Amino acid sequence: MKSHRIEAIILRHTCEARHNLNRIAEMVYWPVQNIVVWGFFTVYLARDNHLRPGAVSFLLGAAILWGMFYAFQRDLATGFLEELWSRNIINLFSTPLSISEYLTGLIIVNLLKALLGMIAAALTAWVCYAYNIFPKSLALIPFMLNLALFALAIGVIIIGLIVRYTTRIQTLAWSFAGLLMPFSCVFYPLNSLPKLLRPFAWVLPTTHAFEGMRQAIQGGGFSTLHFAWAITLNALYFLLAIPIFRMMFESARSRGLLVKLE
Amino acid sequence: MRVPALVGALSRTRTSASLTDHLCMRDSALVEVQHLTKLFGNFKAVDDVSFFVRASEIVGLLGPSGAGKTTTIHMMLGLISPTAGSVRIFGKRLEENREQILQKVSFTAPYVLFPTRLTVFENLLVFARLYRVNHPSSKIRELLRMFAIEHLKNKPVSRLSSGENTRVGLCKAFMSDPKLLLMDEPTAYLDPQLALHVKEILLNMQYRSGTTILYTSHNMAEVEEMCSRIIFLNRGRVLATGTPIEVTQTILKENRTEPALREVFLHLARRQPNEVA
Repeated sequence: MKSHRIEAIILRHTCEARHNLNRIAEMVYWPVQNIVVWGFFTVYLARDNHLRPGAVSFLLGAAILWGMFYAFQRDLATGFLEELWSRNIINLFSTPLSISEYLTGLIIVNLLKALLGMIAAALTAWVCYAYNIFPKSLALIPFMLNLALFALAIGVIIIGLIVRYTTRIQTLAWSFAGLLMPFSCVFYPLNSLPKLLRPFAWVLPTTHAFEGMRQAIQGGGFSTLHFAWAITLNALYFLLAIPIFRMMFESARSRGLLVKLE
Repeated sequence: MRVPALVGALSRTRTSASLTDHLCMRDSALVEVQHLTKLFGNFKAVDDVSFFVRASEIVGLLGPSGAGKTTTIHMMLGLISPTAGSVRIFGKRLEENREQILQKVSFTAPYVLFPTRLTVFENLLVFARLYRVNHPSSKIRELLRMFAIEHLKNKPVSRLSSGENTRVGLCKAFMSDPKLLLMDEPTAYLDPQLALHVKEILLNMQYRSGTTILYTSHNMAEVEEMCSRIIFLNRGRVLATGTPIEVTQTILKENRTEPALREVFLHLARRQPNEVA
């Protein structure tokens, strides 16, 4: 991998973000809007004593972290879709740029964008609702890392699927994380899910990240169990994502789809 | 020598070269395509195509629509994987040396576009970084001046005309001072004056830097003028190779004294599909 080619991809997507209002809106507007809505909701519930102690923190903390996870996964896939929509894919891959260099550049830009969005959401929660997530951030970092890794694995698989099945399935870029949300126990504990669904939820790193987050926010300390599960599952999904992506990419190259994608 | 004069001079030299001479020089091939085949399902887009291009040659890859020209070029860039056969560029196999080879190869085609929200300068800067060009800003300025689009530097690509877009593509193609240029209809959207300007630049480049060019076009007069050799494809197969006059004679089966590639083209188009082997 050559760093100048990774820099080129970072430059390309940074310029895109600067000129494209949609990208700016996705990066800051939606995370902030999400927190404002959740904030009002928690204020309402807290006022009438409908909430258990600490629930405001769970809800706002979960909204901030889910926002980061969703934004990273979506922006990875839409970043690639930008190349297809602008018919730039032949331009890029007729240079020495390798697919791993391209993906590394895309990951760096979109991770930074997701982190910026998360900081904007966290500042909104702090300023508007006096909810300060920053003192807990040290305990939350391992779980945020797991969320980012899972978003990355899903993002890579979705890009692979788009390469192979073209923009017909581009809706996956926006919708796939939503499909996982009910089973990821973002706003409620795992034991509130029906028993039938719990094994499925258990194999999602997101479930363990949010369970760990709740324990950390509640002051229950760092959950080694949930962290170990999340990181092991992420390693497995990542090991699965790479060959799936390679298979899809090679299949697209063989079918001549790389030059027909748009 | 002024470049327009160069066009005529080179064209005369080219038509007098014989096929035998070229075959003797095959050892110095910069590009070697051997038995290249591409199947899409049951459809044979490229069928056992073999050819070579020597250093500093301008070779035309011609044929009617669907002949397999673009698929061949895409396989030479590694964008499509061949079903069979091999591509060697600079003496190395493309499959194993893609990165090394593509550092010295450029490609342009009017159907390839740039991210529309980025300005011309930003787009070219991305490619300057990809090729690790030294002093990218001055190189970009030089190229924009060369293709007479310096005034478009800060314009978003979305606001460019097709001709202007084509010239940005040419700037990108020249960014890395390539040893091999693959050009798929480079003058398709240009008006005659600009097309002439581009031809002059290409010939100048070949004359001064020895750049090798593989060129597809539907403008037969342009090809006769530019190319020392022609590879004529039809229905995925090589129908004839040689100088424009040799290709004309082979396909028309007539003893001609002047190349007539336009006639060759029309002759093939009029024939029934099963007649064209």
